[in-house]
Amino acid sequence: MQNFLPFYATSNYDEIQLLETINSSMSLFKTESCIETLTYYDTFDWRLYHESLALVEGAGLYTLSRLNDGQRQASAQAGDKPAFVWDFPPGMLQNQLAPILQMRALLALAQVEKQAAAYRVLNEDQKTVVYLISEIMRLPQTDTESPLITRFRLKPVRGYDDQAQALALLLQEQGLVATGDDRAYTKIMQAARRAPGDYSSKIALQLEPAMRADEATKTVLRFLLLVMQQNEAGIKKDIDTEFLHDFRVAVRRTRSALSQVKRVFPAAVTERFKADFRAVGRFSNDLRDLDVYLLSETGYRALLPEILADDIGPLFTHLKRKRSQVLKQVRRDLESEQYLRIIQAWQAFLNEPSRDDPSAPNAGQPIINLAQARLYKIYRRIVKAGHQILENVADEKLHALRIECKKLRYLMEFFASLFPEDEIGQLVKQLKKLQDNLGDFNDLCVQEEYLLRAAAELPAAKAEPQEALLAIGGLISRLDQERQVVKADFAKTFTNFASPENQAHFKRLFKPQKKVAAR
Amino acid sequence: MKTVAIYSNKGGVGKTAAAVNLAYLAAQNGAKTLICDLDPQSSTTFYFRVKPKLAGKAQGLTKAGKPIDRSIKGTDYPNLDLLPADLSHRSLDITFNAMKRSRHRLNKVLDPLAGEYDHIFLDCPPTITLLAENIFNVADLVLVPLIPTTLSARAHEQLLAFMRKQKYDPERVYGFFSMVDRRKKLHRDLALGMHKQFPHIFQTPIPYLSQIEQMGLQREPVPAFAPKSAAAKAYMALWAEVSKMVG
Repeated sequence: MQNFLPFYATSNYDEIQLLETINSSMSLFKTESCIETLTYYDTFDWRLYHESLALVEGAGLYTLSRLNDGQRQASAQAGDKPAFVWDFPPGMLQNQLAPILQMRALLALAQVEKQAAAYRVLNEDQKTVVYLISEIMRLPQTDTESPLITRFRLKPVRGYDDQAQALALLLQEQGLVATGDDRAYTKIMQAARRAPGDYSSKIALQLEPAMRADEATKTVLRFLLLVMQQNEAGIKKDIDTEFLHDFRVAVRRTRSALSQVKRVFPAAVTERFKADFRAVGRFSNDLRDLDVYLLSETGYRALLPEILADDIGPLFTHLKRKRSQVLKQVRRDLESEQYLRIIQAWQAFLNEPSRDDPSAPNAGQPIINLAQARLYKIYRRIVKAGHQILENVADEKLHALRIECKKLRYLMEFFASLFPEDEIGQLVKQLKKLQDNLGDFNDLCVQEEYLLRAAAELPAAKAEPQEALLAIGGLISRLDQERQVVKADFAKTFTNFASPENQAHFKRLFKPQKKVAAR
Repeated sequence: MKTVAIYSNKGGVGKTAAAVNLAYLAAQNGAKTLICDLDPQSSTTFYFRVKPKLAGKAQGLTKAGKPIDRSIKGTDYPNLDLLPADLSHRSLDITFNAMKRSRHRLNKVLDPLAGEYDHIFLDCPPTITLLAENIFNVADLVLVPLIPTTLSARAHEQLLAFMRKQKYDPERVYGFFSMVDRRKKLHRDLALGMHKQFPHIFQTPIPYLSQIEQMGLQREPVPAFAPKSAAAKAYMALWAEVSKMVG
């Protein structure tokens, strides 16, 4: 389908006069006009925006378009305010949204009132040669004289490009500016006081190599605290599972930074907050577990033979009931005196100005030295441990290696800005492959045990549990098969990770220039 | 992509009206549709208010690639495009003749459009020459308007015999009654007889109606300017039958 090209009006613009001008050289025929309220949607972490897409609803019709040129990608009618991709009717729109939104909920971010009129430009045979739409957008419930956006959109008819070009020229002569659709989106978001892309759980910080280690570490930790705070409301409102997930990752990263960046803070401070954030992480362990099982419901069903697929139902009914209780507890915990005190004290510590003569031995070191030493040490530890596993694969050793890899990954993310972007990016990619393998193995172990426990918890009163237990048994055996496959894959994955080229790459980037105390 | 050729070796049998209205209905149902005006009389082109002219002249149509793409015009209706007629189509038969594999040239021309259109309708000139053979090669369905007369029964029999002889699949040929005057007993009797003689005739007849003649004045498909008329309903019923074969 050909595109509607937007032309924006600037100030001192008179629509009636403009239409008259067009009419004097072309024959303009008005076909329809309408007023509707448009609502703009995206996820909390701006997944559509990051794909240069906008999802707009008007009169129950949801339309996905490209931001840069306004090209419509797909649309569908959906009632009852769909929050998740699975709430949309099956079809093109759902297919396009699914890989982008995944499990994230859509939030209504901005609203405008649009007044539109459609025109056809006719030639001497009364044949339509160009379509023209005039659009005026205002914020709802505002009576301001000047609208937020005034624009024309022009759609050429195939085979009549000359006429479209003539009209485009005429619009430009009248002072309208031809530009991509980003302008409308940007203005609407601005007016709604939204800043597209303002939330991401990814660490995006610029550290300087010469920065004092305690200052640099605090910068990272301040960012992580902000992520926790940004997600609290979404957890309490139970908008989707990822608020909690991001919150927990920030807590884990905080604990990792406290224990992995050695001796930059006084030992008592480090120990205290390590314990505090261990407690904060524990608040939500159960809730996250339940989220993970509930998110994989479809996947689990697909693993089962058809004859058992429906019998797994009681398990999920049970887990859902359990989740709503656990969620209440997490809400209470996030409002508890204990949590508020931890966050307050932490904030106070992070915002404390640094002393000129810090007591912690590594506090005054340039961060680059500390980062390199620590990264290189853990990297070598992983390579050594991995080679031992190659000789004798044991489940516990794989778990231990997974933890080490996670430490390395977090450190690489904290300090990524100290190294050339593409080089560290490549190493992260290599590490991620190994982590995926180890992570899959761990998930499968944990799931098998969890399902076994859940089976014991199922209420025994009804007739279903017999079949439900069979289904759970079937699921466990499928997961175990899968686990053996993943385990067998370890050797290849690790050998790739520890290849001589990769080792040289890690060494070049992280091997410290001189010795420092980075025990 | 499914290609429907509206074909008759006789003129004035309601061929163009059928092509225009069926293509319009296909597009209205959401299928990306192209109607090709192969008839040098260019009636289809006229109905859509487009000037008959082709960017690359007749060579453009016979060479696969760009030129045909550039000649396509958007009609006033969503999903419906038109390849306008050109007076130089008159010489198409000669042009095809001069080329290798001349019976398959139209395939080559339309192939690149397969990705873009769900349906292509060919409004064919009344001929049984090389162009006709090209049409038989390219069409998934050859739709023949039949006026219920003894002569058109004979002509249809000749067409099927020709196809069998030249090894074209006569199974792809379907007739429908056109310009039927229900008041004439002769029309009713002949229609009954032809249904027996030719198993491939659609049930829906297109009556002789003034709304269809008005297309020339309105320069629009019947369902566009008179959606509730008997003529519009007849074409809708016919399209319901045809679309089952090419849907």
